[in-house]
Amino acid sequence: MRISRRDFLKAAAAAVVAGKLGPAALARLQEVLRAPGGPRVIWLQGAGCDGCAISFLNSVHYDTVDNLLLNTLDVQFQSNLMAAAGDLAVSAAQAAGTQPGYILVIEGAIPVGAAGNYCRLWAGMTMADAVTQFAANAGYIVALGACACYGGVSGGAPNPTEAKGVGEFLGGDSRLVNVPGCPAHPDWFVGTVTYILTAGHLPPLDEHRRPLQYFGERIHDNCYKRHQNCGEPNFAEQLGAEGCLEYLGCKGKHTYSDCPIRKWNSRGKDEYGVNWCVGSGSPCLGCVNPTFPDGMSPFYVYLPAPREAVEDGVPPAKGKLEVRRVYNPS
Amino acid sequence: MATTITIDPLTRIEGHLEIEVTVDTVRGVQQVVDARAAGKMFRGFEVILVGRDPRDAPMYTQRICGVCPVSHALASSLNLDQAFAVTPPDNGRILRNLVLAANYIQSHVLHFYHLSALDYIDTTGLLDMSPWTPRFVTPDMATGTTASTLVSHYVGALEIRRKAHQAGAVFGGKLPCLSSFVVGGVTQTVTAEKIAEFRALLNELRAFIDNVYVPDAQTLGSLFPTYYNLGVGNGNLMAFGVFDLNGAGTSKLFSPGRYTDGTAYALDPAEITEHVTHAWYTPESGGAHPADATTVADADKPGAYSWLKAPRLQGQAHEAGPLARMWISGRYTNGISAMDRIVARALETQLLANTMDTWLDELVPGAPVYVPSAIPASGVGAGLTEAPRGALGHWMTIADSAINRYQVITPTTWNASPRDDADQPGPIETALIGVPVADLDQPIEVLRVVHTFDPCLACAVHMVRPNDRRGGARVLLRPSVG
Repeated sequence: MRISRRDFLKAAAAAVVAGKLGPAALARLQEVLRAPGGPRVIWLQGAGCDGCAISFLNSVHYDTVDNLLLNTLDVQFQSNLMAAAGDLAVSAAQAAGTQPGYILVIEGAIPVGAAGNYCRLWAGMTMADAVTQFAANAGYIVALGACACYGGVSGGAPNPTEAKGVGEFLGGDSRLVNVPGCPAHPDWFVGTVTYILTAGHLPPLDEHRRPLQYFGERIHDNCYKRHQNCGEPNFAEQLGAEGCLEYLGCKGKHTYSDCPIRKWNSRGKDEYGVNWCVGSGSPCLGCVNPTFPDGMSPFYVYLPAPREAVEDGVPPAKGKLEVRRVYNPS
Repeated sequence: MATTITIDPLTRIEGHLEIEVTVDTVRGVQQVVDARAAGKMFRGFEVILVGRDPRDAPMYTQRICGVCPVSHALASSLNLDQAFAVTPPDNGRILRNLVLAANYIQSHVLHFYHLSALDYIDTTGLLDMSPWTPRFVTPDMATGTTASTLVSHYVGALEIRRKAHQAGAVFGGKLPCLSSFVVGGVTQTVTAEKIAEFRALLNELRAFIDNVYVPDAQTLGSLFPTYYNLGVGNGNLMAFGVFDLNGAGTSKLFSPGRYTDGTAYALDPAEITEHVTHAWYTPESGGAHPADATTVADADKPGAYSWLKAPRLQGQAHEAGPLARMWISGRYTNGISAMDRIVARALETQLLANTMDTWLDELVPGAPVYVPSAIPASGVGAGLTEAPRGALGHWMTIADSAINRYQVITPTTWNASPRDDADQPGPIETALIGVPVADLDQPIEVLRVVHTFDPCLACAVHMVRPNDRRGGARVLLRPSVG
């Protein structure tokens, strides 16, 4: 069973690369993935709040979390969900780690202060040790959420635990994809993993190793809040009011993500979310940025836009591979 | 001959927890005679918050906990309301209640089905794959139709908890980690469409709670009646109260109070003290109210075994959580035990879902949700509320228009606290004593009892330096908090 799946994935990956994989083939791919077993995942949680795991449970746009857990992915270690505890859980992780090729999901930052003892996963295993050990045999490494990508709130000044993101901790790794956000949107994660499984390689990334598919366009450029007066500048007087929130602290001019279109907490399969930060009358916190939170706060104070991005609709050239609209605004 | 069992990691919770129990045979029954719980992560939120814009506190403190971010956002917002001397309009207060309640439903459903239920079901033939295999399999677990029904509800509950989050996001902006709670109210305005969208989701949640969750919790109680006599703890309960029903916060759906040695008392937050005799802090770090406490680590302190201070009310250990809320508000009187925690949590979910419907009726589309205010040069605030898993307190001082000091005591700090100055153990420690352990290799009974407290260890907020003085091998009781 496992071999046939691997062969199929290889064929599917080739088809994707050749541009031949259409909807029918993708449906067949789903069928094969639904067999017992499946792509293996080891999910480690360090200095974080488990919010990205909870956010993952909200997945429905690309696939429901029950389908992902029951029929698609083989999640061999995930401490919020796994039935085993104690030594039984540790042995499951250790056994899974000996077989190369799994997707290593890392949630939470890696504190390296106090010899790593600010966060220990089990007796004798700090988060730092675990990332080193389980990265060795990983086929791909997905840093999930702001903390795992760049330190996030766990690494906020004065960073008392010397928390690091995966990229900084491992010193650059070609297998790494960053899926930031506080928390990460479940679609960004599920979509990225699906891409890896179907294509057999990482998706196109920006200079911060974020998938361009989700982090390629500037929030401000897609934000309806500023378009209500047909292009006239329309600035909100206070939080919750209609109009652009830039001067009330919105970091949408500093931030690249598809939040304005995708929104959060999707209504169903192929549907978009019910709301998002700016939609709720509050500023974008810039939580997908490597400088979050220190470079993005105070959250309710105007931050002048970076010089190259001041002009509306003109994205900075730096590191941009391609800007294209992936989703149509609903 | 006593045996020590260490369960590390204790899974299906939030954060990192180690449980160590000593098991011996007493009166012919192999049972727990001593217990230690240890949290294993420190993030230093109190340090990170110092010097920041006070208005940012709800956004930062939510990141303490991904399961109950709304509770931290609310505690922070109440804290700021007080320090900024501003009262949210009714719409703002009601929206805060609705988003918080939606997250309670999310958290309670997650707790029952995804964190707890697997302790009671033999899923052989039903979930023979990761992450549900390997697992403990013991002779007392539910099998057959009961098992397959509960597993199907486990899957259905994944959808329901997602929809609870979806409802919360209608007024919260997004979940986990909402955007709309601010000092002075909520930034999400009220429209008839928003109310209708929320209500449609609420109706789905109510159907599940009434027809599936509550019956399942009661079924579990009838299948495992011994757990009505296990995990009792010391019987003391406390609640800060939550879900304000008026602008002044003097009327709440769940009233504040404490239940000590069998008698109900009014809650006086001034009676909270933190004990450090058995915690790795200097003696000067103890004996004070959390708003005044200092926290200086002393990793070599003789007799200490925890990184968690022991908060006490009137000098006594108290349990926090849904059972405490339901008991203190007079809505649950069956008893205090492991199974009572599970059943009271389910009944609380039902009560909340029904009440949310009336709150939706009280919303006024277009009416204000928020009152703007300015940062005071200095100020003091306290935000006392309830997370799904129990009493949550935030204390803050503002100086030079910035956060000067921030202290958080989370429910798991109360429940997983170490022994105090009078050698009284914490609620979880007490609750584990006497729990039978049939199979030393599969201490499922210990998991069941610990899980009834819904521990959340993600947030170690005290200013500690957890250098493991035993070289990282094994440190007893360092509950951080959550």
